[in-house]
Amino acid sequence: MNGTSRRAMLRTTASAAALAAAGFLVAAPALAAPVIGQPAPAFTAVDSKGKQHSLSDFKGKTVVLEWTNHDCPYVKKHYQANIPALQKQARDAGVVWLSVISSAPGEQGHVDGKKADELTASRNAAPTAVLLDPQGTVGKAYDARTTPHMYVIDAKGVLRYAGGIDSIASAKLEDIEKASPLFKTAMEAVVKGENVAQATTRPYGCNVKYKS
Amino acid sequence: MPLSLHTALRSWHGFFAALLLVSTSSLALAAQSNVQQSPRATVSLVSEYAAVTPGQELRIGLRQRLAPHWHTYWKNPGDAGSPPSITFNSPQGATVGDIAWPGPDRFIIGPVASYGYENEIVFPMTLKVPQDARPGSELVLEAKADWVVCEKECIPEEGTFRLVLPVEASARDASDEIRAAFRTADARQPQASPWKATVSAGESTLHLTVEGEGIAPATVRSALYFPDSWGIVDHVAEQFLKVEEGRLTLATTKGQGYTPGPSAGLLAITDGGGQKRWFALELTPGAATAATTEAPATLPLWQMALFAFLGGLILNLMPCVFPVLAIKATAVAGMSGGDRRAVRLSGVFYTLGVLAAFMALALALLAVRAGGSAVGWGFQFQSPLFVAAMCWLMLAIGLNLSGVYEIGGTLAGAGQDLAQKKGHAGSFFTGLLAVVVATPCTAPFMGAAIGSALVAPAYVSLVVFATMGLGLALPFLFLGIFPSIARRLPRPGGWMVTLRQAMAFPMYATAAWLLWVLAQQAGEAGLRMALAGLVLVGLVAWLIGLHQHRAKKTWWPRGAALAGVAGIAGLMVVLHGAEPVAAAASTQSAQAEPYSAERLALLRAEGKPVFVNMTAAWCITCLVNERTTLSTAAVQQAMQEGGVVYMKGDWTNRDPAITAFLQSFGRDGLPFYAFYPAGKGPVVLPPVLTQAIVTDSLKQ
Repeated sequence: MNGTSRRAMLRTTASAAALAAAGFLVAAPALAAPVIGQPAPAFTAVDSKGKQHSLSDFKGKTVVLEWTNHDCPYVKKHYQANIPALQKQARDAGVVWLSVISSAPGEQGHVDGKKADELTASRNAAPTAVLLDPQGTVGKAYDARTTPHMYVIDAKGVLRYAGGIDSIASAKLEDIEKASPLFKTAMEAVVKGENVAQATTRPYGCNVKYKS
Repeated sequence: MPLSLHTALRSWHGFFAALLLVSTSSLALAAQSNVQQSPRATVSLVSEYAAVTPGQELRIGLRQRLAPHWHTYWKNPGDAGSPPSITFNSPQGATVGDIAWPGPDRFIIGPVASYGYENEIVFPMTLKVPQDARPGSELVLEAKADWVVCEKECIPEEGTFRLVLPVEASARDASDEIRAAFRTADARQPQASPWKATVSAGESTLHLTVEGEGIAPATVRSALYFPDSWGIVDHVAEQFLKVEEGRLTLATTKGQGYTPGPSAGLLAITDGGGQKRWFALELTPGAATAATTEAPATLPLWQMALFAFLGGLILNLMPCVFPVLAIKATAVAGMSGGDRRAVRLSGVFYTLGVLAAFMALALALLAVRAGGSAVGWGFQFQSPLFVAAMCWLMLAIGLNLSGVYEIGGTLAGAGQDLAQKKGHAGSFFTGLLAVVVATPCTAPFMGAAIGSALVAPAYVSLVVFATMGLGLALPFLFLGIFPSIARRLPRPGGWMVTLRQAMAFPMYATAAWLLWVLAQQAGEAGLRMALAGLVLVGLVAWLIGLHQHRAKKTWWPRGAALAGVAGIAGLMVVLHGAEPVAAAASTQSAQAEPYSAERLALLRAEGKPVFVNMTAAWCITCLVNERTTLSTAAVQQAMQEGGVVYMKGDWTNRDPAITAFLQSFGRDGLPFYAFYPAGKGPVVLPPVLTQAIVTDSLKQ
């Protein structure tokens, strides 16, 4: 039986190898970046007040993640009017807004909790919490590349939007009016339980200042 | 009105420009506008002609001279930044065209990539001088531009420019310095490519193929693709180049914004002499590369059935089944010398149990398949709840074998006359258990057979599973069919009690192993619940035993046992909701890279040999192979010598990527090993490895 089985085994192996050779380039899903329509990567981070938050704490609520760096000109532009207004709108709609700072110590935009709170107050900002991510763990889990870089996660924890805050990649204040508000549209759609038409858009801004 | 700092600076710049104009005193400088300067960038509007003629078409350009390490952007800036923009307040009749973007370079800063330029760049635009421009007059171009310069930080800048071009009877060249700047930009101007370019996308990879004359290993030293728009490729991902005569391929990671269909971009090729040139490519979609969409070739039914039968037979020898066989052996020992008919029936019921379990598994697999999910053989072990329940069951069986309590009796509430049937129920149950526990030990043959069966019509799958069950059940069925063999078994006696007690230990060992698997899967929390369950199982078994051994029956052991059972049920509910732990660290070792389809594709495009090992904490054969073969010094050395990248995929928890990988080979179970020699298709290794098998295949 041993001889038979060995032959049979070889034949199986050969046919499997032939199969694999036929499909020369094997590809399978294994994305590092989070995928629209899939559960958003889980994370736990400490906020500016030292309180710990996990994504799972917010099940049942729409969650917005906003990558930020207060010294980035693109962020400055959007904090002049746009982002505080969006945060208020989000708050009124029961949306959890988490601003994430992934700047590493010594890099532009790195702040401690106290400074983060001062910035929130001075900019009239109204996030649910400001998460400090100096190790870049949350940022890398979401493949956040720019400030701002916006994400919308629905009440079931599924990632529904990833990309830019709007459509005109500039640091000019006057462009906010002209741009199509991609993120705002996406957030409103998710709150209403509707489909996000443009779920992946180009994020623009400064690169996130990760620990190198 | 107070003079703002900004205005002051602006006027200072004007002064600076005027100073330049005066000090150099050459007329040629009229080919340059005022200069906007910051510590990072010196920007002006330049013209390739110092004087222009009516109707002339010439080029003007936004010229940026950058401080070292600062860069500015191409039309697709990559991950961050934005390209410069310029708007003209054109004089009557004059028109200025769009920027003819010079070919960019790529700058990688941490996890992001930018496409753009360092040092100096001119963004050329075509200017058409009006036909009716009067010689002796001046053509004044006013422009407002903004741009972003980045090093690590990004600074948006802007400026207004005024370029004055005298209109004369004949055109006059700009200074050599300005013409040189244009020439530098021209050297970057993309050329139309003479080649056929196709793009094909996998789940996460993108392959660019460029074919045509002039492409050869000698002429292409390196190449980089710049898509015209954002998100086609992952900008920061490496692009692996493979050059053959008349053809080059670039393998990289697909971008988030990729959509199938034609696209355009630039291919930057550095030739053998180190010269870089840019070619404009129009990419058309090529053949899909996803092998995963291809159905594995189906074996003929009889062959599938044969493999399945042999596979089932061999399952009897697998470490997973041993503990269950121990139960059966105990049962057979108990029957030795007993009623011939009872022995025969016991074999039949065992077989029925095995078949029922196989059918149930097959139906479950088919149902899940119909639901669109990818599952694999042994999938039930990917559920922490299942693993915990099996662990408890093993302890319960072990405690029974140890004599803590007896199965049957009053607890089942059945009468004495049913005892015979209970024996058969026991055989049936043993058969069920053998299958459920044996599945992770996918033996040779089974992989391909099950793989084929799962893509085949349902009835084929059922036939295959049934024959596999027959194979597994055969040894004990044999005992029943040929009672003469059974008759040769030793007579019953005291040795039976000893054997039975000894057989408890394989059960305890299996429980311990399952506990370890669970720790990989569900982490500390899962382990805690499983341990609590084990204590409860022990308690319940003891209480039942207590009740059974007492002459005077009291209610409380029964009540307490019921409470214990309720506790276990509660734990099961909690475990059911437990989230699997992301990575099972224990199946990873230091020198192995975790499996990723894109990484594999990239390594292969790079021409590196790769050895892929798919494993799981619950796959004993995998662990044995690892211990005896893969982690040995001889094999590790052979891999190192051959420059083989060792890649390991962990299937302890569900992982669609690994399921898809296995299915691309027509497999559904572990262990699975594939070796990809440099530049060749994969070779599948047998599921049971020896050092010689591995080292021989690595030599290919």
